[in-house]
Amino acid sequence: MSALIAGSAIRTCFGDGAATFQGLLQSASGVGELRHADAAKVNVSHGYHIREVGDETLFRASRWLAECASEAMAQSGVDAQRQRVVAIVGTGLRELRAVERSALEPLAVSVERLHFAHAVHQACPHIREVVTISNACSAGGHAMALAQDLIELGEADAVLVAATDTMTESMLAMIGRFAEVPTDQVRPFDAKRTGVLLGEGAAAFILVPEGWPCRPLARLLSTGLSCDASHETVLDPEGIRRAIDDAFTRAGRTPAQVDLVIAHGTGTAINDPVEATLIRQVLACGRAGPLITAIKGAIGHTSGGAALAALDVAQRCLATGQVPAIVGLREPLQEGKGLRFVIGEPVKAPIRLAHIQAFGFGGVNAITLLEKAA
Amino acid sequence: MTGLVVTGGGALCARGIGFAPIAAAIARAGVAEGHPSSDSREPSTEPFPSGGGHPLADFDARRLLGRKGTAFLDRRSALALVASGQALQDSGLSIDETNANRVGVTLGTTWGSLKSMSDYTRESLLADRPYLVTPANFPNTVMNCAAGQTAIRYGLKGVNATIAGGALAFLQVLAYVANALRCGHADAMLAGAVEECTAHMAWAVHRMEPHGRIDAGEGAAVFVVERSEDARGSGRHIDLELKSVTTSFSPAAGRSGRLSGALADCIRRGLAKSDVRAEQVSFAVTSQSGEDDRDRIETEALSMVFGNAQPERLLIKKIMGECLAATGGLQLAGLLVLHRRDPSRDGRISLFTGWTADGGVGAAIVRGWSRVSSDSG
Repeated sequence: MSALIAGSAIRTCFGDGAATFQGLLQSASGVGELRHADAAKVNVSHGYHIREVGDETLFRASRWLAECASEAMAQSGVDAQRQRVVAIVGTGLRELRAVERSALEPLAVSVERLHFAHAVHQACPHIREVVTISNACSAGGHAMALAQDLIELGEADAVLVAATDTMTESMLAMIGRFAEVPTDQVRPFDAKRTGVLLGEGAAAFILVPEGWPCRPLARLLSTGLSCDASHETVLDPEGIRRAIDDAFTRAGRTPAQVDLVIAHGTGTAINDPVEATLIRQVLACGRAGPLITAIKGAIGHTSGGAALAALDVAQRCLATGQVPAIVGLREPLQEGKGLRFVIGEPVKAPIRLAHIQAFGFGGVNAITLLEKAA
Repeated sequence: MTGLVVTGGGALCARGIGFAPIAAAIARAGVAEGHPSSDSREPSTEPFPSGGGHPLADFDARRLLGRKGTAFLDRRSALALVASGQALQDSGLSIDETNANRVGVTLGTTWGSLKSMSDYTRESLLADRPYLVTPANFPNTVMNCAAGQTAIRYGLKGVNATIAGGALAFLQVLAYVANALRCGHADAMLAGAVEECTAHMAWAVHRMEPHGRIDAGEGAAVFVVERSEDARGSGRHIDLELKSVTTSFSPAAGRSGRLSGALADCIRRGLAKSDVRAEQVSFAVTSQSGEDDRDRIETEALSMVFGNAQPERLLIKKIMGECLAATGGLQLAGLLVLHRRDPSRDGRISLFTGWTADGGVGAAIVRGWSRVSSDSG
């Protein structure tokens, strides 16, 4: 059963949702020199940081989460005092950065603040429950799926679906281990792509049942879920295909109806060819297929927040009929030849159905279908 | 009413592997006596806090799981794999190409593997050439690693999720699994919680609860949950019926020490949802240790709900130690064990409860049956 999106807020290196979409339409890259970590030590020189003056403060992931939650709640008009609202937060690393900092500096970090219940409750004092789903880089998609279930089962009147992640030095070191030379730009689906970079970001959506008195931003049709059950870190096309099939079955739509794909597109040597091949086989089905964009070239890989950042961009594409180009993509990789990647300039096109892909460590896949509200 | 049932389970804790040691410990109802044992593959160089901890002694992942796929496995994932394998076997649910896509896993945790995370982070931050970290160890630092490993080992290709909810995580896992089954994401789910007892975890428990007198334990408990009609159709034995799972969050009550009222409300709502009267509840498995000031939260809540007609009570932490997220799973394992060999309890209704210091409360209402004809357990 579909549900409506009544509010949406994100934070990225460009700022809020409107600023992020504007940046994307201008094909801007939010990449900059890596902050808050020793670039030489972790072998990562660049990142997509949320712009803040001064030194790195503690609990940034929680703060962005709270800002997005307040903003999305206000936009939705949902009143958590009168309505049963529960929060689902997706994350990869939660507040691990605060733990790293407290290991290196004499900082007092209270255990309670390592969890998000505190931050969500500060932003939305009457929230009934805060559940944290820790599903790596598809956490936001999994949170959205659970939210839709809670609405369908009547377990909540409205659901705050959120996600947030910042960078940790340990994750940077892992990324640095895979690059001989540190990359300076994520180039999704580019023939000469040079690997992934992290972004910082958070997002919050308010999901309500069909018929709710609001001006919906978009209609959430379904999220298909699957697990590869094959490898912790290597994509499995068969596993992703099952999540795609699940999403279309639940939504009662077919791949041929998709106008826009927002790909996971991490710009890595191994993942992008798998994803491009899959889009060709499953969504293009022998024709030119839907428009394809990806946002990590502009805002980096925002980990647990990645799926929801893509959803915010998708709802703006549905609303405006504008699709931003894939920042960093110049010449598509061999496996993507003939696919309709948006390159260089944004494209204007009527978009009714958007398909958003998110894959995470652990082989967890979430495919979300979003439709124009009216 | 969830319409969901448990058709098998697996558990490990300081008392040993499987249900038999838990049954024996419940029978004696003694306090866990364990000494910090080292990870057999990688001896612990870090000392435990003064009180020690209650790890499962001589836990040997490679002996139990074989060499294949275990080279980079951390203790937490290994515990989850052993319990999950037992649960599948106990239930008789076999995974093959006809059902693999429709069976998933959801595991509860507090913070993943604190040891894996801190070892990897330390390597990143302090080694001479930090970028030479071992990438194969990175997945262990991600909180959903154990769920991913479980899916890989047993070929479970359905919904896979990890809920980081601390002491309430297992109740949240049951709620998640109920949603997944009711909304058709899967036909059967492994629902569990796991927590390892390493020096890191023992120190975290010690530092978080400086006044608590309960030391860290460890454990994993995993259950096969499916729709009642599917279980009956397949002929699998029904151990437990999940009548309701209720959780809520009242940070103000947490701060002011009035959590018992919030928990009592939660239990009452669970009873109403289950269409069960308080006097029908014959057993309560709490997260109490029997030697902690904070035990009063559940004592008071039970008193508010049941008055003078208190259900019999099992204090799970008294037997297992402080197992954080795994405590909830071990509570359900305790219930399953109580029923398994005792037909006189057939059809009786039990309650299990949990809470977190920041204001989370939860309760599940469960009905159980014995398996006297079977030698398992």
